Amino acid sequence: MASHAKEEVATLKLAPIWSKLPLILTIVGLVVGAAAFLFNKDHGKQLAYSYLTAYMFFLSLVFGGLFLVLIHHLFDAYWTVPLRRIIENLAMLAPVMFLLWLPIVGFAWSDQIQLYPWFFADVHTDHALAAKQPLFTRQGWVIMITACFAIWTFLAWKFRSNTTGQDRDGSSKWTFSNRVHAGYGIFLFAFSGTFLCFMLMKSLMHQFFSTMYGVYYFAGSVWLTYGTLYIIAMLLHRTGPLKAVVTKTTFHDIGKMFFAFTVFYAYITFSQYFLIWNANMPEETFWFIRREAGSWYGVGILMIFGHFFLPFLVMLRQDAKRSIAVIGPVVALAWVIHYMDMQFNIMPVLHKDGFVLHYGDIGCMAFIGGILAMAWLKLFKANPPYPQKDPRMAECLGVYVPPAKGSMAAAHLGIK
Amino acid sequence: MSNTTQSTVSTGSTTAVSRPHSILAEYTTPADLMHAAEVVRDAGYKYWDVYSPFPIHGMDDAMGLGNSKVGYFTFVGGCTGFTAGMSMIWWMSQYDYPIVVGGKPLFSPLYAFPVSYEMTILLSAFGTLFGMAFLNKLPRWYNPLFKNKRFHAGAQNDKFFIAIEVTDPRYSETETRKLLESTGGKHIEQVEE
Repeated sequence: MASHAKEEVATLKLAPIWSKLPLILTIVGLVVGAAAFLFNKDHGKQLAYSYLTAYMFFLSLVFGGLFLVLIHHLFDAYWTVPLRRIIENLAMLAPVMFLLWLPIVGFAWSDQIQLYPWFFADVHTDHALAAKQPLFTRQGWVIMITACFAIWTFLAWKFRSNTTGQDRDGSSKWTFSNRVHAGYGIFLFAFSGTFLCFMLMKSLMHQFFSTMYGVYYFAGSVWLTYGTLYIIAMLLHRTGPLKAVVTKTTFHDIGKMFFAFTVFYAYITFSQYFLIWNANMPEETFWFIRREAGSWYGVGILMIFGHFFLPFLVMLRQDAKRSIAVIGPVVALAWVIHYMDMQFNIMPVLHKDGFVLHYGDIGCMAFIGGILAMAWLKLFKANPPYPQKDPRMAECLGVYVPPAKGSMAAAHLGIK
Repeated sequence: MSNTTQSTVSTGSTTAVSRPHSILAEYTTPADLMHAAEVVRDAGYKYWDVYSPFPIHGMDDAMGLGNSKVGYFTFVGGCTGFTAGMSMIWWMSQYDYPIVVGGKPLFSPLYAFPVSYEMTILLSAFGTLFGMAFLNKLPRWYNPLFKNKRFHAGAQNDKFFIAIEVTDPRYSETETRKLLESTGGKHIEQVEE
């Protein structure tokens, strides 16, 4: 098996300033959030929407992380082996996201905030709501979201415990187990991801129909995750833990996927808009008409150019995908643009006349980002930074390891 | 081809004058080929190539090959396709035969987009395919290397080759042979046109 793995693996060591940063962000975010609640004189309505926006932004990374782990096992990929601890631990933030969802439950129930207006609508007079029973009831909302997080947590925990199990004994049974869980997991993932995004974000305007909405959120999420993965892998490569196992080709491959999802997002977003534009039905068009009011129109244009044309043209060349000097700024752009995308989806419910950047928005980003960074660092440091005895590791590094005599692989190949 | 020597070979019953095409060296392992390619690259040759039964990772670096230029053909093809698609729909529905459908504007980039998008893909693919053929000087009926028996038997099986063409500005019958010998090449021979 992959016995060439180094005996001593460099662990992640952060400079004091960096290791304290997540905690500082959390505290600052908490203070700013409290200020938005106290001084905004709207019973926390602005805070609730700011929180939901930041929440949906960071949920993207967990969503994308779980997807990357699933397709890694589904396709029996080898190039993502050294990166797997990064994405496994991103997926493992699912239970943290469940806890961070609890304030949203409070905002949704509050009479003053009314985060989801349909919570307070009368089902007998609202046809759109009656048509969506029993899913769009308070109980339905809570049960669906809890079930989705239960699925994500189970899958993420299974993949993570399998990979740490393989670190101990190097048995291939863990790999086979991962394949089984990824097989049915991708279906559960697709349904739960769609439902989560329907319940949390699309139901803000509950009359809206779009079967593509889940894929639309998915495309943006995976786009953001590949960009973030590029930067995390680059940092871990430069500072040591992944120095020996991540190569130039690995970055080229992440860059390709980042580029691919730039195109996929544009394709999905355009298709959703185009079908609604062409069909021209009031049940669907009202959603976009609201988003053409005031400066929201400009945000829509920003999506076309910032989410597609600019990153597409910048990353088109082969050498651009290998260069951190090019990809770094594109990832920074991706963070801003994906946040603006979440604003575009959520905020027109509150700010009807145009985009407003409230300090509560920034506070909520800092708060959730800080908590998730702390959790991720704790999860990541608990184990070696890359899988130690994964059978695909040698392949990834371009090393040929002949099957050992009497091993399972040798028996399979008929070697005696 | 002023600096090339001429030789006569006997082909069957007639005697034909034949010009040299390249000098060919054989290697037994991909590693030998890779190191030899590095030497030839550093010597500054331009018109040469390596032949292997399978792709060898890192060979493009060893040969000093840059990024492929096919991408430019693809890009130009794609831009042409997009523009052609948009202009075609505009010309047909706004200018040549205007009909109002479903209360929509006569021309909108929205409904012209699917066609433009397909045209972008189609002409990008054409640009890629024909650009590749153009850069590889294809189609071409015949390559003189096929005539060489060792090459014919080995290049698709278990041998690795370097061929340096005589048209290369740095080519010299004695020096190039010495260079290939120094890299461990075996059965160094001249291939005729």
